Amino acid sequence: MTDAIPAGAAEKREAGKSASQLSTWLAAGAPTLVVIAVILGVMEVASWYTPSYVMPSVSSIGGALWRLMTLDLHHVLTTLLRLAIAMTFAIAVGTALGCIMGMFRPIQPYLRSLVIIDAGIPALSWMLIAVFWFRDPEIRIFFILSVIIIPFYALNVHDAIRALPKDWVEAIGTFRPSLFQIFYLLILPHIVPYILMTTRSIIGYAMRMVIFAELIGAAIGIGSAMGLAQGAFEMNVVLAWTVLLVILNLVFQQAIGLIEARVLRYRPEATIR
Amino acid sequence: MSEILVENVTHHFDAVLAVSDLSFRVERGEIVALVGRTGAGKSTAFNMIMGALKPDQGVVRVAGHDPFANSKALRGLIGVSFQNDRLLPWLTARGNIEFGLRILGVPAAERRKRADSWLEQTKLDGAGDLYPHQLSGGMRQRVSLARALAIDPSIVLLDESFSQLDHVTSKTLREDFGALARRLGKTCLLITHRIDDAVEMADRILVLAPPAHVVMEARPRAAGASPKSLQESIERALGGEDGAAEGTERTLAGGRPALVARGRVA
Repeated sequence: MTDAIPAGAAEKREAGKSASQLSTWLAAGAPTLVVIAVILGVMEVASWYTPSYVMPSVSSIGGALWRLMTLDLHHVLTTLLRLAIAMTFAIAVGTALGCIMGMFRPIQPYLRSLVIIDAGIPALSWMLIAVFWFRDPEIRIFFILSVIIIPFYALNVHDAIRALPKDWVEAIGTFRPSLFQIFYLLILPHIVPYILMTTRSIIGYAMRMVIFAELIGAAIGIGSAMGLAQGAFEMNVVLAWTVLLVILNLVFQQAIGLIEARVLRYRPEATIR
Repeated sequence: MSEILVENVTHHFDAVLAVSDLSFRVERGEIVALVGRTGAGKSTAFNMIMGALKPDQGVVRVAGHDPFANSKALRGLIGVSFQNDRLLPWLTARGNIEFGLRILGVPAAERRKRADSWLEQTKLDGAGDLYPHQLSGGMRQRVSLARALAIDPSIVLLDESFSQLDHVTSKTLREDFGALARRLGKTCLLITHRIDDAVEMADRILVLAPPAHVVMEARPRAAGASPKSLQESIERALGGEDGAAEGTERTLAGGRPALVARGRVA
């Protein structure tokens, strides 16, 4: 006997699946929406009883946000470009340092000490040092971001190599690979999840750092624009920038999530009940 | 010339004697099993043959090379499969099979062709694009064996390769692998604690007792050899459930392996 599939059953199943996905997304997003609504409500009520330089109305913040998105986009793009360049450099250098620490034992204690010392220097110190050392604001910002972010990648990549299963190394060793082949075929794919995880963890922090660096030493960029708004007592603009930064961080997190889903598709999803 | 030669090898781990005057040979095209209980020194012997460990005394040669001093000379000559599959999780079954070929610098098209051929020969048709976590234990072990064989090595080392599988899967797999290895004329050394693995697969069985030395040699494929009685003899040589066998102790007293069964084992 052949099992007959009723006409339209597949479409119905697909429609049901889509509806189920939509309800899952709504259920997941509902608490966030509730929290946002409560925050906006509190801000609006506060704006009724306080001067606009303390708490502007929600509509005023919305208007400022619209102006930023339409007229001040160059600040956003400049900040994003700075962030992208410094992040790319930090990922490359941090990963290289982590790999050197993981693959060359004699150098490891010295390099790790250096990275840990770097990690222990407060971001503010680096910002002040950069002001003394560099005249060009672009170099200042690049330097500040790099020295702050590199240790995260270096230490996490080093830990990733330390966590490399001995079984894999032995199994690959039976083919007598060169050191470069071990790096390229074994270590590099193994550290990718760690690099993505580090990026996910620090992207918000890196964004904050670039804003601080712009605040103290740049004429263009979100940090600089926020400094100008603060100087002009434009609280609605400061809050509009803040909202935009939160949105950007959510976009980054989503983008990294999509990259992870693509690059790490080989990993099984664990379900804890 | 023997493909694998182990001659008067002794090795200590600190003060503990792990291998004591171990000698054996594996000839070209032969399937030999080293059988012993846990702690008999099988893995130590295996590591010395792999070139991961230098013996304190004695000679180890694999395809005529010293595997420790001249490890790179064995590139492409040895394929190894382990107890656990050790597949790389980011590679598909096909990618894992191709892995050794990539290290040997085989061009992509040729790699793909060979991997597909091995997928077929190891009965993994249709599983080439699956990741290791999507495969069953038996399938993963098949991929591991295919990865070892794909580089077309003259020597295949199997370290407890069938031991973690259930009885039926293990039996099927070793039958398939044994037939394949014989057809291709591979020299195989199987390290195992499971007597049935050895009896069913090997041309010759070497029973090891601690500190690793041969206490019995048997040829299960010799005319008239009975698998059941052979299995019982090996069990006796291994010492049953609770330590060294009486027979083993007797042979050790003289300092030389005396419990030797060649050809028919009664």
